[in-house]
Amino acid sequence: MHKTWKIIKHEYTRHVFKKRFLFSLLSLPILVIAMAFIVIAMAFFTVETAPIGYIDQPGFLKDTTPVKIKGNIFEPIIEFIPYVDVKQAQSDLEAKIIQAYYVIPEDFPKNRNVGLIYLKAPSNDAQYQFMELVRKNIDVVQKMDPSVLARLQRGNVFTIVALDGSREMRQDQWFLIFLPIVAGITFIIVVLTSGGYLLQAVVEEKENRTMEIVITSVTPRQLMVGKTLGNIGVGLTQLVVWLIFLWIGISIAGKIWPVLHSITIPSYMFLIMALLFLPAFAMVAGIMSTIGGIMTEVREAQQISGVFSMLVTIPFYAITPIMMNPNSTLAIILSYFPLSAPITVMLRLALTTIPIWQIALIILMLVISAILSMWFAGRVFRMGMLQYGKRLSFRQLFGKQEAA
Amino acid sequence: MSIININNISKRFGATQAVDQLSFQVQPGEIFGLLGPNGAGKTTCIRMVLDIFEPDSGEIQIMGGPMTDEKKNRIGYLPEERGLYQDIPLSRCLTFLASLKGLPEKSIGAKLDEYLKLFELYEVKDKKVKELSKGMQQKAQLIATLIHDPELVIIDEPFAALDPINVQMVKDILEEKRSEGKAIIMSTHQMNQAEELCDRILLINHGHQVLYGTLQDIQTQFASQDVLVTSLSPLPETIVGVKDIRQVNGRDLLVLAEETQPNQVLKQLINQGIEITAFEIAIPPLNEIFIQVVKKQAEEQDA
Repeated sequence: MHKTWKIIKHEYTRHVFKKRFLFSLLSLPILVIAMAFIVIAMAFFTVETAPIGYIDQPGFLKDTTPVKIKGNIFEPIIEFIPYVDVKQAQSDLEAKIIQAYYVIPEDFPKNRNVGLIYLKAPSNDAQYQFMELVRKNIDVVQKMDPSVLARLQRGNVFTIVALDGSREMRQDQWFLIFLPIVAGITFIIVVLTSGGYLLQAVVEEKENRTMEIVITSVTPRQLMVGKTLGNIGVGLTQLVVWLIFLWIGISIAGKIWPVLHSITIPSYMFLIMALLFLPAFAMVAGIMSTIGGIMTEVREAQQISGVFSMLVTIPFYAITPIMMNPNSTLAIILSYFPLSAPITVMLRLALTTIPIWQIALIILMLVISAILSMWFAGRVFRMGMLQYGKRLSFRQLFGKQEAA
Repeated sequence: MSIININNISKRFGATQAVDQLSFQVQPGEIFGLLGPNGAGKTTCIRMVLDIFEPDSGEIQIMGGPMTDEKKNRIGYLPEERGLYQDIPLSRCLTFLASLKGLPEKSIGAKLDEYLKLFELYEVKDKKVKELSKGMQQKAQLIATLIHDPELVIIDEPFAALDPINVQMVKDILEEKRSEGKAIIMSTHQMNQAEELCDRILLINHGHQVLYGTLQDIQTQFASQDVLVTSLSPLPETIVGVKDIRQVNGRDLLVLAEETQPNQVLKQLINQGIEITAFEIAIPPLNEIFIQVVKKQAEEQDA
């Protein structure tokens, strides 16, 4: 174990402390931060912050204290300025002192109609702020139970429940559809990064001819386990760093849009995700290690591994038919194919109810695939480790012959 | 007690019998030459000793028993296929390899610096391995083989890619290790080096043992009825009992008739007043023995 740990550490540090890795690690967060800055800058220059005027002909608005207490760059607090006559308001609108003005006519208490005059329509939030101001001055509202008022203001929230009660989907939890997509993309990046490093590490060991020295100090099993875990660690580091940035991003965004704080991801989603992704991760690691054991050059190995990488990403190519009909034959076939299963199942899970037995069967299939893949990788590794500059033959792979 | 005890090991790869019924021992404090032409089975034999391959039959005992993880730490190996991690600094590469041999990380630094200075690599220790010359990489590989002070050193072609100064330095190190009681197995094609360094040799061909024993015994076994003479005055044109006189490296090689004894010739020369400064039995060089034996085997196989 001690020596395995040394190999894990060696494999991990030789990638993680390289400029290339740091660049790829930070490139995504930097890109996201840059995009956020662009969005904020655009908001700064485009979001209208000018006051809105109003002419209250019936003298309806007794309480004109602002409704919104906290604003942000995208949805600022709008100041509402009272005008005595339309002429003055129109003149200020044209002079761009105000962005629009409301006219509350004499018959408002009866008809509840308000006029809005603008050159460019104010944002929905600005209009909402004025509506709230008007609403709180209505007698009925003032006398209403605050909890009833809150319910009325929130409106309807539909919850769709599966017939067997196994799951439900709330109208305001629409973002759960995006979770499998984001999780799938993250899975692909992490798996392919780790797999790529592992592939490279195995082929390089042969290319550099270091294998023969190392296996006189450690067993082939220790070497392979060390390499696999070290390179998986590299992928997980990438994942953890990105998740930290995501968490920071959501925390910052949460300050701007408090609605983000109400996001709750059901725990079963995480459980299924872990049960699907972990064996799939081991399976891909086994495949990459096998390719590395067979091939003699990094470039050649990368070309072959590209085919397998494509099979992992195939559900994204078929995302439209899968999401349009998550129980179609195509979606089910892709769910039962080990390489495409994790992402297909996650995509389907967002939109349909997959029977528990089917999920269990797919997870079992992935676990078996992972065991077989790692076992085969170990066999190939032992056979190919001393075969310099020569690919393992088909006969060697599936026969009994040992490589000299 | 022998540090290595090999008893009748055999190994087959498909249709090729790489090693066939090979037996030998290696003692502490000796340099043991494992010799043979390309494809003779030397590397397979070494790999079986190192537990990389398992023999199909026969028994291998290392330091009194089967190979263990602990014993692996007491062996230094320089394979024929040289290799170091190319993309990392030299000192980091050697530190990693030394740590795999069980050296505590705290003690590696000082020891590594000592070896790097000895091999004149200290100045380039922070350079990436791929930036070093072939000779430098060869020396670095020797450091990886010796840094953990192994009891058994197995080296395959240790002088390849080294200049004469470094060849001499490596020879000195190997001799020093021998005098410290370490066992060294040296596989090489350079017969002059084997002749100079080895105490005993094993010559194998097609996986079979061809010659095995002390260098002196083998050379005596192959010695002919010839003597080498160095003299201050010229030798007579004809000497009784001598079939032929040839010049070899400024000395006279006297080919004796079958019934002639060397001391008879020496007596004759002294009686004739020849001033002799050296008179020795012409021992055949190992290279000659090697070629002779391998050729003979090839002829026998063809026949």
